[in-house]
Amino acid sequence: MKRLPFVIALLSLVSCNRSHRPTIAFVAGAATDFWTFAEAGCKKARAEIKEYDVVFRYTTDGATEEQKRIVDDLLANGLNGVIVAPLDPVNQGPFIDATSEKIPVMVTDSDIPNSKRLCYVGTSNVEAGHYAGKLIKEALPAGGKILLFVGKADAQNAKERIAGIEEELKGSGITIAGIRTDNIDRVRAKANVSDALVSHPDVNCFVGLWSYNGPAILNAVKESGKSGKVKIVCFDEEEETLRGVQNGEILGTVVQQPFEFGYQSTRLMAQYLSGDKKGLPANGQVIIPAQVIRKDMAADYLSKMAALRRK
Amino acid sequence: MKKEKGIFIIFIVLCSVVSIGNPNFLSAANLQNTTRLIGIFGIFSIGSGIVIITRGIDLSVGSIFALEGVLLSMLLVSQKIAWPIAVMTVLLLTLAIGWCHGIMISKLKIQPFIITLCGLLVYRGLARFFSNDITMGFGYGEGFTALQRLATGNLFGVPSPFILLLVVGAAAWVFLHRSVYGRYLFAVGQNEEAAFFSGINVKRMLLAAYIISALLAGIAGILLAFYTNAIAPSSHGNFYELYGIAAAVLGGCSLRGGEGSIIGIVLGAAMLQVIQNLVNLLGIPSSLNFAVMGVVILTGVLADKFIRRNKY
Repeated sequence: MKRLPFVIALLSLVSCNRSHRPTIAFVAGAATDFWTFAEAGCKKARAEIKEYDVVFRYTTDGATEEQKRIVDDLLANGLNGVIVAPLDPVNQGPFIDATSEKIPVMVTDSDIPNSKRLCYVGTSNVEAGHYAGKLIKEALPAGGKILLFVGKADAQNAKERIAGIEEELKGSGITIAGIRTDNIDRVRAKANVSDALVSHPDVNCFVGLWSYNGPAILNAVKESGKSGKVKIVCFDEEEETLRGVQNGEILGTVVQQPFEFGYQSTRLMAQYLSGDKKGLPANGQVIIPAQVIRKDMAADYLSKMAALRRK
Repeated sequence: MKKEKGIFIIFIVLCSVVSIGNPNFLSAANLQNTTRLIGIFGIFSIGSGIVIITRGIDLSVGSIFALEGVLLSMLLVSQKIAWPIAVMTVLLLTLAIGWCHGIMISKLKIQPFIITLCGLLVYRGLARFFSNDITMGFGYGEGFTALQRLATGNLFGVPSPFILLLVVGAAAWVFLHRSVYGRYLFAVGQNEEAAFFSGINVKRMLLAAYIISALLAGIAGILLAFYTNAIAPSSHGNFYELYGIAAAVLGGCSLRGGEGSIIGIVLGAAMLQVIQNLVNLLGIPSSLNFAVMGVVILTGVLADKFIRRNKY
């Protein structure tokens, strides 16, 4: 009986946390800058739509069961709509379908076209791959070899980016000499680049497919004293990557607009829940275009990012 | 030297195989890259090994890296504090962390696995909380270029982390193998009760072991933070405690306590890095990285078993 006061205190703490407004949840991927920007977008949307509460949840990388648990927990607490960034789009279809039977579901970042989702809000990674391919062709006008660096080569967005690059490079005389993976470990990511500089001296363009691969390539190449000799093409908007672009050490980086992922999907979901279904696209996809950031745009983009981070 | 014989032979064989497979292994650039990583991993592996010798374990190392990196970035970049003070602050913090672990393990007699597992969870959580889950970086090191150069640079062509490992290793070797405190540590690991009744201050030795482990993690953590130059709080140093434990076990430490040597631990740490280097240089798909590491560790432990059994 001694423990009773604690139990009561705990229960009251839990019940206090319940919100009374209808709730929209955004279930993101691992806690990285990318999803932090999406969260900023969600926050902006929440400030604009007063009648809904918006909750934002991060998950551990690769832990699809965690996404399911979060959604189930939120459902038990009374959830009206959810936006999920599937970690494993190939196998999470049934989970999306089961949730769709209870509440409206949108997916973001990676699409699951055959599921019962309302729509997809995000970038086409194949298209982003094409943009990167164009940068690579610019880096190696006379052809040559490139190496790709990524956390996990079997992740859906990595596969799509690679597919886009491969399509774009067809017939250009540029070949992909290999893909190095690091299992989302920055130390390994940099060591992979240092090793590649030794084992593949003939490769003159390195491509970083995930956000942290950009800084990893940049730092390793700089340390080896091969800046300028090895061209660098990146994805995403880590600060060091953007600074590298600004300094001309990186040719360019292909960015998505995660802020828009968060903002537009939350707005769209709120509209839909309020009964306005006209906003939904007929083909089920709201494509937020990728952008190529080059030297002249880097400074602007950096200050935009800094403003988002401060929020 | 008997204990390290097995691992030493395998290490040499491994290096020969790689250098035959790809002569670039012995190129200056590759040796610099690899010894730099050996330096960083070796330093905290020594700490993990010393704890294992006392029959304990330290699972909090990876999370200490994340927390320390985040704080270091905050102190240097956002607060613009002079780097010697910032470095001292984070090292004092790791010292305090080690002291807390040690007190709870030695005085309150709670199992080290539980205490350091809680540490693993708490420091990771704090790192993510303090940083708001935003990747913390050092950028171009405005205001602390000296520290950045010290942590990532070379001295006479030798990477500074490796030099630091030699210094730390020598000090640890004297402490563990040539001082009475080293003997005490082994005694505590062999049989805590017997050590107590022979007049050894067991609590103080345990406390010392966890403080050393956390402090060495702190030193390695600074080097690691500048190696990546950015700390993603949710993934920085994830599972790195296992590299320390693997290096110690590979180097002849017994998880049952009371056995091990500094040279063995350093060789173990070196081997783990050479294995990963080998995967890249020999063109083995990087997806096989962990599998190769597992097989080599297993081979090392088995070879050690046979070499030692032959003596009896």
